[in-house]
Amino acid sequence: MNSVWARLTHEQCQRLHNASLEILERTGARLFNDEALALVCKAGAKVVEGNHVRFPARLVEQALSTAPKGVTLFDRNGRPVMPLEGNNSFFGPGSDCLNIVDHRTGERRRPVLQDVAEAIRVCDGLNEINFVMSMFLPSDVHQEIADRYQMEVMLHNTTKPIVLVTYETSGCVDAVEMAEAVAGGADALRERPFITCYINVTTGLLHNADALEKLLFLAGKGLPALYIPVVSGGTTGPITMAGGLALSNAGVLVGLVISQLKREGTPVIIPGFGGDALDMRTMVDPYCGPDPRGMAQSLAHFYQLPMFSLGGASESKLVDQQAGIEAALDMLIAAGSGGHIVHDCGYLESGLTGSLAQLAICNEVAGWIRHACRPVEISAETLALDLIDQVGPDGQFLKLPHTRRHMRERWYPTLIDRDTYTGWLAKGGKPLGERAAEQVSQILATHHCEPLSRTSAEAIRRVVLRAEAQSGSESPAPVSGGSYA
Amino acid sequence: MHEEQFNAMRQSIVDGAPESARESANQALALGIAPLDAINKGFVAGLNSIGEQFNRGEVFLPDLVMAGEAMKAAVAVLEPEMQKCGTQREILGKVVLGTVKGDIHEIGKSLVSTLLTASGFQVFDLGVNVPIELFAEKARDLQADLVGVSALLTTTMQGQKSVVEALDRHGLRPKVKVIVGGAPVTRDWADKIGADGYGQDAMAAVAVAKSLLHK
Repeated sequence: MNSVWARLTHEQCQRLHNASLEILERTGARLFNDEALALVCKAGAKVVEGNHVRFPARLVEQALSTAPKGVTLFDRNGRPVMPLEGNNSFFGPGSDCLNIVDHRTGERRRPVLQDVAEAIRVCDGLNEINFVMSMFLPSDVHQEIADRYQMEVMLHNTTKPIVLVTYETSGCVDAVEMAEAVAGGADALRERPFITCYINVTTGLLHNADALEKLLFLAGKGLPALYIPVVSGGTTGPITMAGGLALSNAGVLVGLVISQLKREGTPVIIPGFGGDALDMRTMVDPYCGPDPRGMAQSLAHFYQLPMFSLGGASESKLVDQQAGIEAALDMLIAAGSGGHIVHDCGYLESGLTGSLAQLAICNEVAGWIRHACRPVEISAETLALDLIDQVGPDGQFLKLPHTRRHMRERWYPTLIDRDTYTGWLAKGGKPLGERAAEQVSQILATHHCEPLSRTSAEAIRRVVLRAEAQSGSESPAPVSGGSYA
Repeated sequence: MHEEQFNAMRQSIVDGAPESARESANQALALGIAPLDAINKGFVAGLNSIGEQFNRGEVFLPDLVMAGEAMKAAVAVLEPEMQKCGTQREILGKVVLGTVKGDIHEIGKSLVSTLLTASGFQVFDLGVNVPIELFAEKARDLQADLVGVSALLTTTMQGQKSVVEALDRHGLRPKVKVIVGGAPVTRDWADKIGADGYGQDAMAAVAVAKSLLHK
């Protein structure tokens, strides 16, 4: 895609980078993991006291010089589908919503594992959705190991790349084991990764044990990790966008340093969002406020590192005009500013609720954006000067082979209505939300993911059964429709 | 028998390829396939198939138009042979068609012409900027069943009313039906000027023409 939106100048990015370096040198961060502490101290970080360390700038510069400038995610079949570099943007859902707005009834309820299976199958069937996340937290499975069930269901229901989120490190280890089983071993997965793991870090300067364990585990494996320190302006960071981003970016740089010390050259995907703030009236965490849009993308491009961006979320409680506006604007800026993995399509209510109808609308928006940002070909074929001359002032182009050859290059809607009034009425005269819900039902009725091999299915089931045995829980009733073996 | 040939005929229409249609029509004659069979079992089947695909939004208008052109090419080869052996293709009706005086917009009218022809109507296309009286005279001389009047402008729409009145003056109605079309034309307008039918697009025009003549 062509980048059309650069929120920050190169000089502003340099200043933010210098600010993050100063935070790390002057204030320092706490690392709640002994191996990480030992690694950074050995490399020259200075202990203030206990697990509080300060980082010299050269440690960061060294890490920036070895972290790969791009990483490609593959699909389940080993085909390269998401080259995370340049201005390539890819869209997908978010993870772990606590509620679902059921597309069949409009009811807001607790999701079950079947909802995860359906969400992933819908993602698999939507052309403009490029990767998946779990979308829902299933309420009908043992909560401690819900991430294993999510992973099994994702592996069964899509061939698209998976961004996985796990609670504890053990969940991450199990998910990677499942992915390795499907890929054909640890080396095969490292060479052609079709998963990456989202690591949530407490704040820019507090690096929790689970986050560091997961980072070290993935770095050890040479698998791409998303290292995402969360800074909420006004509470865990300054209310100002620059201060918030400088602080969260300091945390990102800590992750980069540790990952590169663990295994030089291991891929790390940094946040393509940041500088957010809580709503100071309600303390709600808005996912799509306008203020910081595009800032973190500029910074990630300054570093030339792959990024995990955000777009397609809404604060609305239902699939309505607000949801459409927020998702579309946010996705456009995410892509226009060159965000790579753009997640949270289908999110409502600060990520607490997910909607498949909203996801389908985001899919439509993603196609629109892909066409609006695609490079324009100016060539003899597309200028068609000979044709213009042949046709002359009196003729028309409707019957020319040139028309039929190129007419499908343009975007055509699957949900947006462009019909005449009578045509629209003849199809039921329905608003967008209803049409989106119908599209979801249609995909669920007709689209089936290419099945996993029996060996892979059995191997991942064994991981789930082992986790059940360890946690003392029982398997839930199998998800219907052959969603998993 | 000749299943492969019938498939080739169908495919030439679906592909919108007049050359292939002409070729497979000639091949049919060479193999001794009755021209009427070639049309009904081969080419018309292709037309029905692409019409259904169009209604489902799977193919685009230029695909449909080229299917119509391919159909015309096939019929042009087969029609003289049918006349020789005394059979003829079932004609759904004779249509006089044109864009009304003062208006030189051609594309929509030509689409209707192509699709009506492809669907089995005999179409006399008078072109664009057609004088009001000429619609009536041609309808009388050719013993037309249907007159189609196209207008793209709100100003030239008035001419559609004049054509209806001219047909009345010649005493041709209600035997001769009138259909109107064009971007600004609505069902209300058609009712107001006493036209018999209105189609919002070329496909709808074919459906309206069929229903008016074969109730």
